[in-house]
Amino acid sequence: MSLGKKENKIDLSKNTCPNREQRAKGTNVYFGKASELLDEAKEGTLQCSDRKFQQSGGCVLNFYLAVRVSTIRDAAVIFNAPVGCSSSALGYRELYRAVPVELGRPAEYDLHWLTTNLQQNDVVYGASNKLKDAIKEAQTRYNPKAIFILTSCTTGIIGEDIEGTVTEIQPEIDATIVPIHCEGVRSRLVQTGYDAFWHAVLKYLVKKPEKKQKDLVNVASMLSYTWQDRLEIERLLGKVGLRVNFIPEFATVEQFEQLSEAAVTAPICPTYTDYISRGLEQEFGVPYFLYPSPMGIKNTDEWLRRIGKYTDKEEEIEELIKEEHVKWVPKLEEIREQLLNIKEDGTKLNVLGSLGQGRLVSQLPYFDEIGLKSPAAMAQDFDDLLIEELEEVLDTVGDFDIMVNTFQASEQAHVTHKVNPDVALTCPFQGGAWKRDSEITRIHALRGDADPWSAQSGYTGAVAFGNFLLQSLKNKSYQKTMKEKTATGYKDWYLEQPDPLYFLEKGK
Amino acid sequence: MVENNLETAKETAVTDPSIHVIEAPRYSCALAGVYGTVLGLYDAVPLLHSGAGCGVGQLFGLLYGGGQNAGGDFGGTATPCSCLVEEHVIFGGENKLGNLVDSSIDLLNAELFVVISGCVPSLIGDDVDAVVGEFKDKAPVLHINAPGFKANSYEGYELFFEGLADQLLTEKPVKKGKVNILGVVPYQHIFWKGELKAIKDLLASIEIDANIIFTEYDTLEKLNDIPAAEYNVVVSPWNGHRAAKKLEDKFGTPFISFPGVPVGPKQTSEFLRELSKALNTYSDKVEKVIGKEERRSYRLLEYPGDAIILVRPHSYFAVAADSSTAVSLTKFLTNEIGYLPDIIQITDNPPEEFREAIVREITENLETGYSPDIIFEVDSHKIRENFKDRPFLFLFGSSLEGPIAMSDFGALSVTVAFPSYNRMVLVDNYVGYDGGARLVEHVVTTFAGPL
Repeated sequence: MSLGKKENKIDLSKNTCPNREQRAKGTNVYFGKASELLDEAKEGTLQCSDRKFQQSGGCVLNFYLAVRVSTIRDAAVIFNAPVGCSSSALGYRELYRAVPVELGRPAEYDLHWLTTNLQQNDVVYGASNKLKDAIKEAQTRYNPKAIFILTSCTTGIIGEDIEGTVTEIQPEIDATIVPIHCEGVRSRLVQTGYDAFWHAVLKYLVKKPEKKQKDLVNVASMLSYTWQDRLEIERLLGKVGLRVNFIPEFATVEQFEQLSEAAVTAPICPTYTDYISRGLEQEFGVPYFLYPSPMGIKNTDEWLRRIGKYTDKEEEIEELIKEEHVKWVPKLEEIREQLLNIKEDGTKLNVLGSLGQGRLVSQLPYFDEIGLKSPAAMAQDFDDLLIEELEEVLDTVGDFDIMVNTFQASEQAHVTHKVNPDVALTCPFQGGAWKRDSEITRIHALRGDADPWSAQSGYTGAVAFGNFLLQSLKNKSYQKTMKEKTATGYKDWYLEQPDPLYFLEKGK
Repeated sequence: MVENNLETAKETAVTDPSIHVIEAPRYSCALAGVYGTVLGLYDAVPLLHSGAGCGVGQLFGLLYGGGQNAGGDFGGTATPCSCLVEEHVIFGGENKLGNLVDSSIDLLNAELFVVISGCVPSLIGDDVDAVVGEFKDKAPVLHINAPGFKANSYEGYELFFEGLADQLLTEKPVKKGKVNILGVVPYQHIFWKGELKAIKDLLASIEIDANIIFTEYDTLEKLNDIPAAEYNVVVSPWNGHRAAKKLEDKFGTPFISFPGVPVGPKQTSEFLRELSKALNTYSDKVEKVIGKEERRSYRLLEYPGDAIILVRPHSYFAVAADSSTAVSLTKFLTNEIGYLPDIIQITDNPPEEFREAIVREITENLETGYSPDIIFEVDSHKIRENFKDRPFLFLFGSSLEGPIAMSDFGALSVTVAFPSYNRMVLVDNYVGYDGGARLVEHVVTTFAGPL
């Protein structure tokens, strides 16, 4: 398979990765046919543009990178930033507490983060001593195995030499220091932050393999997939004698160190996993694949087969698939029947998904499988890493409208208003887009949700999410009442005129 | 306990620990403070002149942390933002900001637009006042300069009022019996919505008209009315003091301050008496209201008697909270429920000049011979260390304490302070005559069972 800019070698001698804009010709804005977006991506003509009106869609640090890194066990995190940049990580002690110990959460664990709490004086005179102090303090207080440093707009603009500081102080420190370049101003695409994180993991943390572990499968999973998804993946792979190395959230430092020993790196969210997957192959010969994700029956079958290929478990995997189908396919058929019979005219229900690039290629075929139609979809950003995958999706489900918009709530409100789907699968941050006289539910489950109801991955997840969607069709009183009884932030003229990208500065 | 012996790059000797390296401080930056304050005004919209993550970061930090609240029409990813990147760092962000203000006025249903500039424009030297000045004729627009490295979120609240007084407010004839309520900081004080309404209703019962500014529509009218108040009433030992001073200097409005929001009957009666005396409206009528409310609310406090006395009587308790909450809850639990304050950790970094008064307010107003240890601490690691090996059975803190209260300290916990990810707050609060009873409900619920 093609992997977009596969020819671009990851250069670990560099302090950080290239931005997604450069690495994968990413764009922050698009509205039109998916087929045309695909053509542009193939021609390499995608680019970023500015908007006259723009909303706070997240930066490379504060779109979940801050939250994610602060969940890594036996590590400490230092936000080299003014005090506000780390606020999003204030839930660190709670993030996984809702997961019962019986379901695999260790009873004893601790997470730690510090802010260098930069002041006016630090900005004027430089902050390297303060960073050193923070590193020493982290070592003394927590005795961690690794210390991650997250940079900020401020350290970027005042030109802090982070690597210089790290090199100087590392000999005094037991923990491995891992600087991550996630200055908010560095890129328009939040995915750059994930690449920057993986770059640092590859550069500083992953060890040369002591032994290859033929039964170990790396899975980079996201916070927006649930604890139940992990359990399902462990259940399936465990049945054929494979073990899963889940990174990064809630992983131990050792789990990062041994990424090089795995038999394969498998995706849950390909656009998120791309950089680490390619890096592990390039540096340590760990093979990987980016498509499909284990979402829906067919995709899960294929995902398992790929893993089977790299772990010499092909026969066992076929057996597993057969066994699982007996149990789960009839249940999915039932859901499909129900979903197809909801509209009186016998047509399929339309869903509008706020999917992200990764979910775009994994979730649309699943919707097709359970009898839903997606006339339009939204993604945060889009780049050329998943060209063939999108092509495959288009072959399966036909053409559709796609909006790429880095969490622009006004544009999402506009599209939701205009497309008026039967079900809007929203990300809950979209301003007032959820207030509507029709169905609304979430697409991403947040945090370490331990309830089986929240699962989306594998066979149990396909069925659970199907039931979840069925349930969403049963009551719209909240969004309907709120639409009737509360004001909207946007003036009517904007929602009534045809162009969701009204404020785009075209040609820039 | 690990000593903080860090030094900054700066040469002067620094004693203020709040400028050092800190684990998980329970406040955010200046930008966040102004942002939360503006979001608390129902018809105003914050415009962030900053990197693209500041709104989302504060959605997760300030808004979810401030009682698990969504951002609404203008918060989180819906917040207008100039989303500055490298090219603006090089060429300036003024043009981008001008476009943002212009389009926001065209697009958004709002009465007031507040440009909040963060770290980036400050570091690159944008002339934000000049850009904002161009739009003054088109709509009410303010600019609050609030780079994150300059101040914290509590100070952001003051910055907003100072900017408001300088840029929008004009002198008004004073209306008798009208007061403004200051010192309740949206989101940082997790009960802000309920506290403000409770104070307004409470004062209405003795015919004082309170402008609570936040959580109400007709924002511009509410703001413009601020100089018409007879008094500014500050309900915090330090928040809102700078704002009140500014209003005093500018419009001559005197202010009266209370050490916290009034929690439970004793504090509430005192609040009503003192305030009505200041306004020269103290009368038998006020005493009648007090008498009636005290009779009703103390009857209510008979109901938890068995649960308290049979199960958890005269218990030691600990607090980790902002100054205002710490003072008011400690006084209520000690003076009305018979609990024993063991250790009080003040987490909101009050300026040095207010600290002695805060300590005095707690130690001199307790109806017990027992005085708690009072520690001003912003570092969550140290706060945790300070709590170890103490006798307390209850911990009134934040969601940072919730998960570790039982395992680390053997204490039952109630979230009463920021951050409050584990407690959604919409109308809940402990203000007024019923406020004490509500706190008792929450305390007893942590251990309630068959007696």
